[in-house]
Amino acid sequence: MNIIITIVVTALAVLYAGLFKAKKALLPLTLIGLVTALAFAVTAWDTNIVYYGMMEMDNFAIAFSSLIILGTIFIFLLTQNYFSEHSENVAEYYTLILFALSGMVIILSYTNMSMLFIGIEIMSVALYILAGIRKKDFASNEASLKYFLMGAFSTGFLLFGIALIYGATGSFSLDAINKYLIGNHQSVSPLFYPGMILIMVGLCFKLGAAPFHFWTPDVYEGSPSLITAFMSTVVKTAGFAAFLRLFGGTFAPLHDFWMPPLLAIVFITLFIGNVTALFQKNFKRMLAYSSISHAGYLLFSLVTLTGNSSSNVIVYAAAYTFASIIAFAVLILVKQKTGGDGFESYNGLAKRNPFVALALTISMLSLAGIPLTAGFIGKYVMFLNVMTEYHIYLVAFAILNALIGFYYYLKVIVAMYFKEGPEVELNTPVQYKLVLILSVIITLVLGVYPAVILNLI
Amino acid sequence: MGTSVFYLVAFLSIFFSLMVIFAKNPVHSVLYLIVTFFTFTVHYILLNAQFLAVVNFIVYMGAIMVLFLFVLMLLNLNTDNEPLKSVLVKVVGVIGGCCLVVTLIGSLKATAASDPLILVNPNLGLVKNLGKELFGPFMLPFELSSILLLTAMVGAVLLTKKEKV
Repeated sequence: MNIIITIVVTALAVLYAGLFKAKKALLPLTLIGLVTALAFAVTAWDTNIVYYGMMEMDNFAIAFSSLIILGTIFIFLLTQNYFSEHSENVAEYYTLILFALSGMVIILSYTNMSMLFIGIEIMSVALYILAGIRKKDFASNEASLKYFLMGAFSTGFLLFGIALIYGATGSFSLDAINKYLIGNHQSVSPLFYPGMILIMVGLCFKLGAAPFHFWTPDVYEGSPSLITAFMSTVVKTAGFAAFLRLFGGTFAPLHDFWMPPLLAIVFITLFIGNVTALFQKNFKRMLAYSSISHAGYLLFSLVTLTGNSSSNVIVYAAAYTFASIIAFAVLILVKQKTGGDGFESYNGLAKRNPFVALALTISMLSLAGIPLTAGFIGKYVMFLNVMTEYHIYLVAFAILNALIGFYYYLKVIVAMYFKEGPEVELNTPVQYKLVLILSVIITLVLGVYPAVILNLI
Repeated sequence: MGTSVFYLVAFLSIFFSLMVIFAKNPVHSVLYLIVTFFTFTVHYILLNAQFLAVVNFIVYMGAIMVLFLFVLMLLNLNTDNEPLKSVLVKVVGVIGGCCLVVTLIGSLKATAASDPLILVNPNLGLVKNLGKELFGPFMLPFELSSILLLTAMVGAVLLTKKEKV
């Protein structure tokens, strides 16, 4: 609760600072607010406070909140030199990002369907607007409109599902629904099943899992790069945690019913994400498809529910978040200098910018899942998880897909180190350097010593 | 008394909703839709749901209807630019309609089998009780929706404001 209050108060303070033209104060204010929220999150560890039967700050929620707040701090650090000098609306952009973050904290900790809905809406409404903040840019407008229409549609699915489940159980409370499922295991109301599937569809829309992924590439490519970084890392992690909380906890008694459709979603997501990423010529669009395929790997934790499911997800989400932040930071730097985001813009980048190239290499290796990086540990624990129930086909299929992934992630590395290019020198601001160094350190530390967070929850 | 009013209003609802479909002029169709919504409002009052009735009256009959009429006028419907209905579309329509009928019959059978959920408190829909629910157990989501409204407001101002370049 105090995390949400801190974030929202920070957002309002930033909004007022913008009103009084205190441009220099915006970033420090935001960072102070976020660090305070992070401190509240860390100190609430093991307390398990329930707020009005609507939110529960258990260790699961706290671990994910800390991850997304840290991710957001990194994203805010990347705003240096990003928004135009003359833009008068930077305060509003910051406010919207903070509001979206508060929505995400709600969907990490909800214990009531109404909170899930309100949290998802706060997050989504802020994101619809953020996708379209480049008002003169056609692609940005298109991204915003597409995201809004698709998002509104998926919210409809989610609400319809919640309504059916309310009809079956007479309650919005996750506890009551869970008790109903355990109590009437043989005679669950026929309304419950379509409700569950509709909620799954609605949440898969938000996660961008295939076959509900059609909005993802266009929205990710059209939105400003920084917002795309926010959407594909922090937002995806939060959405996944909400999914896990509902299906891994409340709906766990009906695992046999919802596992086969989920398994189909995992197969399609992995296949479409990886194979389509292979043919992309644009780095940003490639990252969009790779984010779809990573949603597939994340869903592994729900195929087999074990006690480790949530800690596996947090390892994978952390690995994916920090690797993607590096990739997007470099993408922004290259785009600012060369104006293009195709693979050819990366040709010969390593000669003049050894540090940036090294960071991007580590990020790509982590996304591909090479040992000694966090991405490898993430994939390893996910595969290990499904192997406890001997889903050998799934693992074999996933490994094949990971091999496809190697090819397109290595394409960037090859372009940077082995191809002749115009040898541009990027100007890397201090904050970018800081974010790159920190993310690289986190990626390597998690890769070498994953026990830091593996046994947390 | 209550039952006869219900039957009268139910008859009117069905009658006017059929008129929505059969009216040739789209503006007439929208006007029939307004009347249909009005009969729904009466239903809500009969069901003791004051708040829903008021919201239905203001939001659906007022705001949404204006939006409908607005879109109709923007679309500029003529017989010239009406899309052609090919045989394929008609066949697909018939198949879709049959699927709907099957689903409806199936769901009607299912409702007969399961016992309906009965409200603990039949006066739940009264404004006073609804307020007590919102400010009691649902206090937190109610307050948090203020963030949602504020987000939408900031966004609307941000997107419509002219940017100095």
